[in-house]
Amino acid sequence: MKDIVQNFPAILSSQKVAPFFMGILIFFPVIVQDPYVLNAVILCMMFAVLSSSWNFISGYSGIFTFGHQGFFGIGAYFSALLAMKAGISPWLGLLIGGIVPAVLGFFVGLPCLRLRAAPYIALTTLAFSEIARITCMNLVELTRGDLGLWGIPAFTDIALPGIGSLSFSGGSRISYYYLILAIFIITMVVFHLCLKSPIGLALRSIRDSQEAAESLGINITFYKLLAFMMSAFFAGVMGSFYAHYLLILTPTSVFNVGLMVEIVAITMVGGFGSFWGPVLGAFLLTLGLEYLRFLGEYRFITYGILLLIVILFMPEGLGKKLSRGKEKNKGKVNFVVS
Amino acid sequence: MNLKLFLDQILNGIVLGSMYALFASGLTLIWGTMKMLNFAHGEFYMLGGYALYFALTLLDVPPLVAVLFAIGVTFLVGLIIERLVIHPLLDKPGWEVSPLVATVGISIFLQNFALKAWGERYKNVPYFIDGILDIFGFRIAYQRLLILAVAAMAIGALWWFLKKTRFGMALRATAQDREAGMLIGINTHGIYMMTFGISSALAALAATMLAPIFLINPWMGLSSLLKAFIVAVLGGLGSVEGAILAGIVLGLAESFAVIIFSSEWKDVFSFVILILVLAIRPAGFFGKKEW
Repeated sequence: MKDIVQNFPAILSSQKVAPFFMGILIFFPVIVQDPYVLNAVILCMMFAVLSSSWNFISGYSGIFTFGHQGFFGIGAYFSALLAMKAGISPWLGLLIGGIVPAVLGFFVGLPCLRLRAAPYIALTTLAFSEIARITCMNLVELTRGDLGLWGIPAFTDIALPGIGSLSFSGGSRISYYYLILAIFIITMVVFHLCLKSPIGLALRSIRDSQEAAESLGINITFYKLLAFMMSAFFAGVMGSFYAHYLLILTPTSVFNVGLMVEIVAITMVGGFGSFWGPVLGAFLLTLGLEYLRFLGEYRFITYGILLLIVILFMPEGLGKKLSRGKEKNKGKVNFVVS
Repeated sequence: MNLKLFLDQILNGIVLGSMYALFASGLTLIWGTMKMLNFAHGEFYMLGGYALYFALTLLDVPPLVAVLFAIGVTFLVGLIIERLVIHPLLDKPGWEVSPLVATVGISIFLQNFALKAWGERYKNVPYFIDGILDIFGFRIAYQRLLILAVAAMAIGALWWFLKKTRFGMALRATAQDREAGMLIGINTHGIYMMTFGISSALAALAATMLAPIFLINPWMGLSSLLKAFIVAVLGGLGSVEGAILAGIVLGLAESFAVIIFSSEWKDVFSFVILILVLAIRPAGFFGKKEW
């Protein structure tokens, strides 16, 4: 028993956890069909994808952005408006909702290329997302401004050969659950492959020392812009999912600095710059706040306090704290970030 | 555009700009000394507003005392927050990002604390001086003149403090080279605490002046903070002179932008300026190469 307790961190951070965890998520709706619980887990996965996409650019590439709400909102509004005004299928919207922010991510990335200090980059990206918010609020004929959009079409039903069909009408949570699970898994696989490949090595080398990376012939411009575009793409896809899931959009619900604060809190609690950190943080914080209803009302106060506690007492976050435990058990200390 | 409208806009721009200057100089002062961006600066502004409101309504003191009370309270809050949150982060790895995250935490905490404790209803404060000055049909509210006078005095006092007093010199020495400062016996931790306190006090002063015009609410900090970022970057982060000049420039630019574009696009215009400055000349007017 003592052995298990001692090795618990090691068990948690071992490679086998990920498939196990995904397995639980896949079979979860078989056991629990309560729409309220399913909704909570859907939110967890949404925040896991959003936070992972932010962690990809900030934690791994060292570009501390503060404008993910802009990409999220643009993805949401593009996809919703295309479906409402042009009758484009939300399935295609999911893709377009990612591509448009990715293209914008390229242009937001341009002024950030020569900036290295985190605050300057945070300001540039924050300014971008504020421009997006105000533009969205001012284009009243198109977006109805502050009144927001409602009656956004849901995803159309799809037939799955052999199983039946996934129906998204009538507030069917299970279909949305599997859709977001699929996006979640794809996101994590893409980021995993990316970070294991030379791209990931290049990004981390730029984060650790731009001069060294440059002297080794790494094309910094290319990799930084790539990080911007990939990160923006997944944030945008999440926005599009959000639009066709809630079916209501207002500028303040998506282009909200509060959303960015949630992403930062989740990533910091889970572990900034660690692969599973944002996922851990997303599930812990989202489920924790749902479970402790009385805290739910003080959601942002809790986020504020959590951010302070994490930054003051365990800046490496829970994820790394746990994997650090594993290294200690082996009798050596891991100094390598991520 | 006729002459009267033109002069009106110039005056409006300068009044607004003087407040931008006051508010942003606190932000830039912290960057200059500690190399950190204070995301909670807007919340000090909000606390200043609420402190003024409660002094006026609950304590029922005259406006001047209320203003001093608001400045004092916010100054203390600034000191305490620096000691509790920023101080432990100094000299630790990750100083690049950690104060940013910590101040975001403080900001979101204070903002929602205000929302829960004092409600979401907007509080309003009466003008300190009523009446309108009328010179040849050119009308200026006394409140606006007061704002201008107070801003000029505060900026003058800040300038005198930084350039002429021993403490100001110690502060500038610490900003230039912290280790050298410590070597000649400057208490750099004390300097950091004071910098935070002064910066919060400046934010509170701006809030007390603007509270009668804009109403007091839990979210007032965010929009002013964004303005302060624009002003501070335009002037060059870390340069107080730059912030003052940039404040006036932005105030004027905005009041003319309202004539050319419509008022709802005014903020887009300011943010585009911010991005352009960062893209073309990140040092702003007088900044150093630190990006």
